[in-house]
Amino acid sequence: MIQLFNICKAYQKDASALSDITLKVPKGDFLYVTGASGAGKSTLLKLLYAAEKPSRGQILINGLNVTRMGPGRIPYLRRQLGIVFQDFKLIPTRTIFENVAFPLEVQGRKRFEVSKKVYQTLKQVGLEHKLHRRPLELSGGEQQRAAIARALVVDPLVLLADEPTGNLDPEITLDIMELFKGANARGTTVLIATHDRAMIKRFPRRQIILDQGRLVEDRNP
Amino acid sequence: MLERSLYLLRRALRNIRQSPVLCGAAIGTVAVALTILAFFGILVLNIQKLTSQWSRQVQVVAYLDQVPAPSVLESWKKSIAALPEVEGVIFVSRSTALERFRNRLGADASLLAGVEEDLLPASLEIGLRSEARNRAGVEGVVAALRDRLGLSDLRYGQDWLDRFEAFLTLLRTGFLVLGGFLLFATLFIVANTIKLTLYARKDELEVMALVGGTPWFIKTPFLLEGGIQGLCGGTLALAGAALVFHGFLQQGLSTLLLAAGVDGITFLSPVYQLLLVGLGVFLGVAGSMLSLRRLVRV
Repeated sequence: MIQLFNICKAYQKDASALSDITLKVPKGDFLYVTGASGAGKSTLLKLLYAAEKPSRGQILINGLNVTRMGPGRIPYLRRQLGIVFQDFKLIPTRTIFENVAFPLEVQGRKRFEVSKKVYQTLKQVGLEHKLHRRPLELSGGEQQRAAIARALVVDPLVLLADEPTGNLDPEITLDIMELFKGANARGTTVLIATHDRAMIKRFPRRQIILDQGRLVEDRNP
Repeated sequence: MLERSLYLLRRALRNIRQSPVLCGAAIGTVAVALTILAFFGILVLNIQKLTSQWSRQVQVVAYLDQVPAPSVLESWKKSIAALPEVEGVIFVSRSTALERFRNRLGADASLLAGVEEDLLPASLEIGLRSEARNRAGVEGVVAALRDRLGLSDLRYGQDWLDRFEAFLTLLRTGFLVLGGFLLFATLFIVANTIKLTLYARKDELEVMALVGGTPWFIKTPFLLEGGIQGLCGGTLALAGAALVFHGFLQQGLSTLLLAAGVDGITFLSPVYQLLLVGLGVFLGVAGSMLSLRRLVRV
């Protein structure tokens, strides 16, 4: 599903954020990207959803070469991905329903289809009773569940999560991880960038460890 | 397609509803800027009217040493009137010329007592079409009169014409520079006000790009919003300008320009009114487009 070949990324001339990363993630895999702060986890994810371009190397997602993709094709790549952030990135002026409906509206789905799918997904994450609330009226855990619903509503091929539990209590982290596990069980490839060792210990899966931009270990549980 | 367009329009209207203060600021900016432009337009139009009235004085007078036979005179008048620059020809006989002079003297007309009727020469007064009331037009007519009819005593107020042309050039350049500057300043202010409203929605723009929104899908509601704001601003500016014009300005400007020879002050014509509102829409859309260029990056 995801293939990286000799990826390098340097924001400045002498400081490389990623060096020579080669990685294969099969379809349906569940992978943790771990490492200390500044190891290059977020950069790796940004390269996957084409927010950044690599300085060198090639990235293939579902057979598409992301590195050669023109700006006009990037939105269509992102429609196959679900992205979850530590700070949720929900639109505060929109209701939870509207936030989750957004990716479907972007794709031009019919209104009744949007309503049905959004309700189903909110039910899946346990927020169906809060669909008319605005994000700031919800707790951090609920906001993250809404953000996950927004990522899952399009049935993505790949779910990318950047420190999804970084701002949450350990108990809520368990709920969030259950949602990721559920998505993975339904066939979605999941990549989670995290430095939460406790979470990895509790939900052991394949993990790659980055250190100063280099892939130092690819470990299976 | 229709559903998509309606969706984008709904989003634009929802944006306006959700940020009434920011939207009001953008409308207010467009309205104020366009009101200034409208007054500038009113001033330019009325000064143009004034100069057009002044330009009627641009005419060629051909003095006749000998008055030709009526049939010859008639054929001269016909051939002069056929010139493309000429609007009309009037024959002023010696007696008419003296009568005019007498009228001009008014109370001192008695000075002309005993003066013979052939004191002043007869003449042909040649009025020019508005587009020919300039040096080139005048010189064309003068050359034709000399070459075709052999008339040599021709007067057309050379010095006055030169000064008038220089004045018109200065006026046109001034209006063009000032108008251009005003328009640019308006666009700059409107673009920056809209940029502020877009900064407040930066998160939304970012999320739209992250969930796969194409640049046009992201931009269109904001462009529509800019267009709606521009339409409201333009309409408000037109209403405001009309109110102030009819309430205060008409009286004052009339007094000022009547002294200079204009018979009435006019407001913007319906075409210019439409143009003003259209300019509002253009400013709103262009302002949004300029601001979005930097903010929307996929």
